Amino acid sequence: MAELTVAPGVREQLAAVARVRWQLFVNSLRTLRGRMELVSHIFITLGFAAGGIGGLAASCGAAYYVVSRGKAEWLAIILWPIFFFWQLFPVVATAFTENFDTSNLLRFPLSYSSFALIRIVYGSLEPATMLSSLWLLGVASGVAMASPPLFPWAAIALLLVAAVNILLARMIFSWVERWLAQRRTREILGVFFLLFIISFQLIGPLMSRYGRSAHPDLRQFADRVLPIQRLLPPGTAASAIASAADGDYAIAAGTLGILGIYGAAIFWFLDLRLRAQFHGENLSEAPALAESSGQRGIVRAGWSFPGIPGSVAAIFEKEMRYLSRSGPMLFTLIMPVFILFIFRLTPSTSHRGSGSFLGGSSDMAFPIGAAYALLILTNMVYNNFGSEGAGVQMYFTAPVLIRSAILAKNLAHSTILALEMVLVWIGASLIYKPPALGTTLATLSGILFALPVNLTVGNLLSISSPKKIDYGTFGRQRASNTTVFASFGVQIVVVGLAAVTLMAGRSFDRVWLATIVFLVFAAVAWVVYSVVLKSIEHMAFGHREELIAELTRAS
Amino acid sequence: MNSAAIATQGLTRRFGALTAVDDVNLRVAPGQFFGFLGPNGAGKSTTIKMLIGLLAPTAGRIEILGLDLAANSLEVKRQIGAGEVPEGMALFGRLTGAEYLNFAGRMYGLDRETAANRAAELLDFMQLADQPKKLVTDYSHGMQKKLALAAAVIHGPKILFLDEPFEGVDAIASGTLKVMLQSMIARGATIFLTSHVLEIVERLCSHLAIIHRGRLVAQGSLEELRAGVEAQAAAALPEDCAHAPAVPGEKLTLEEIFLRIVGGSRPVDQELSWLS
Repeated sequence: MAELTVAPGVREQLAAVARVRWQLFVNSLRTLRGRMELVSHIFITLGFAAGGIGGLAASCGAAYYVVSRGKAEWLAIILWPIFFFWQLFPVVATAFTENFDTSNLLRFPLSYSSFALIRIVYGSLEPATMLSSLWLLGVASGVAMASPPLFPWAAIALLLVAAVNILLARMIFSWVERWLAQRRTREILGVFFLLFIISFQLIGPLMSRYGRSAHPDLRQFADRVLPIQRLLPPGTAASAIASAADGDYAIAAGTLGILGIYGAAIFWFLDLRLRAQFHGENLSEAPALAESSGQRGIVRAGWSFPGIPGSVAAIFEKEMRYLSRSGPMLFTLIMPVFILFIFRLTPSTSHRGSGSFLGGSSDMAFPIGAAYALLILTNMVYNNFGSEGAGVQMYFTAPVLIRSAILAKNLAHSTILALEMVLVWIGASLIYKPPALGTTLATLSGILFALPVNLTVGNLLSISSPKKIDYGTFGRQRASNTTVFASFGVQIVVVGLAAVTLMAGRSFDRVWLATIVFLVFAAVAWVVYSVVLKSIEHMAFGHREELIAELTRAS
Repeated sequence: MNSAAIATQGLTRRFGALTAVDDVNLRVAPGQFFGFLGPNGAGKSTTIKMLIGLLAPTAGRIEILGLDLAANSLEVKRQIGAGEVPEGMALFGRLTGAEYLNFAGRMYGLDRETAANRAAELLDFMQLADQPKKLVTDYSHGMQKKLALAAAVIHGPKILFLDEPFEGVDAIASGTLKVMLQSMIARGATIFLTSHVLEIVERLCSHLAIIHRGRLVAQGSLEELRAGVEAQAAAALPEDCAHAPAVPGEKLTLEEIFLRIVGGSRPVDQELSWLS
């Protein structure tokens, strides 16, 4: 009889996970949908590859330029955008980011080190890491071409930067997931965010008062923040390379040591989360909810709306309850305001601006925020049934038309978008200034056009290309590749068309013209929406088997 | 097919080259507690999915309470309950039990107040009322089973379809479910149930059908099936006596009947010898 005498090694376990992922990929190609996913994935990868290679060439050229001119400390200017992209892209562009679920691995004889390594390695297989790593490679190449003896220092510094970024991204993800998982921590986080945005109302006047003289252009801004940024990982890495270029090898080694300490500190915080996950932590709402006193024996009647059938109202209520209990989804809903805040902090490259990106066109803050709000609804609108799991079967066993279910979901998503518009308007007003009435009306009429287009295509894709998602876990709300690809195309056309119309109206000082054009577009789009909705029943029944199979399959 | 609660005619379902259900002609009379049995992969789940509208038949016809399912799907669905379906329970994990039952009630056309009142009654009956704020995703498997069953009956269906209702349910809950199902039968409902726990089926069901490799191989009351098997055994070769009752004169159990019909004993000696 064979005996279990040797514990499985980390390498074998990593290889086993890789093999499983490969086998899952191969098996997925058995269906037409799987093959379509592959084609979409290839197109998306090509898009990213273009960005990666372009960025690699740009970062290589920029690094070569600054090092060959003896300004190695200016490498920080390249490393900071890479750093921000690495950390922000997975949060901002959730449609392209997937959080690898390793919870199922816990049943196997996995040591903590194997578990942590698998979480970090496979969790990092996402576009932000790939692209940023390529760009760091470009920086290293540029440095090597400009000054070959500097390459070993640059290589070590950039490897440390990569490690810090990978660990930091994982750490942020895991802690945000932790905070968003339960209502109490979610509320605390929400209050902090609200205070933060409101505080900007106070910072804004100060910035506009002192900003003009303090940093009218990028160079003065950089001069001011240079000493501070040197203390942070991208600046530290640039300082280490600069010290090595100056022949101060001890200082360079010491600076790299600081970078290492950053990595260790970040890993310590990440380790706290990973250990909790390894010990089978339960992030459900149950403990918090169990504490609240519910009245036994009394069930509150469901929501109702005049003129809306009971089943539609019930699905609408269900959608809203799901959203209110999904920390990650609520988090993505505040992202449009967060983006405006990021723009406000970003220095302007223009001398005409008032010190920040959009500074000279602050009335565009509301349209940009509104367009982004529409973009982040993609995960919901284009994958209507994704969060239902096995519950989707009820729509086919209950005496309800599928188009009623879809209508209810569309109503819920439209309501969310309306609330988002209010939030973005308030955010834009606080962070910049209240948008002009003409801009507000043009933006709202633009949304009135973009919404039915998205709902129509979203309804079709929700049925033909569904993907099981998890509302409760951060980073597991991604739609299928086919959906992401198609929705991206729709957004480019719709937002592009809206932007051109609005800009044209704005440049002729006739923003109201854009409003009229959008309202005409909207009328056509709503007619198409209702025609498609009426005929969707047949399509839904034609796809019910794939829909149920996809949403009920094990993760 | 008019007087039957459930009737199928030539029901067939193919998945590519595989015929999962092959020319099945079922007939379940109103008020019957009907057990639908078969080994794993025999076609039970495929059949039940077609009967509740989750899967389209490749060929054949389904009538529920005299109505053609394909032509009157909404009307038929109002009369049936199907909380526990083959592809996992049709639950919404991020609702509480009360919210889910309320939702289910309104999906089946109940008004807000009736749905809420019945949800409260069902939670109490199923002993799920003591944690009203707990999300369904945090329920134990047994609690989810009970909730799924509660959702299936909230609108008072005339026919109830159940797929493995007692799997993973504790003895106390199992007793509660049996009481509820038997009281439904007493009030004239029809129950169509699949289960691998043959003792429970034997105790509850008055009529049975057995499907094997996609084909219906037996159908009738338990006594009819028993008589058929015993008649076959009497005429069979001596080696078949291995399946005869252990004590002469005792009735064949459902398990013995099932094994006789589908075959299925295999020697386990010397297999998986590495298992400690």
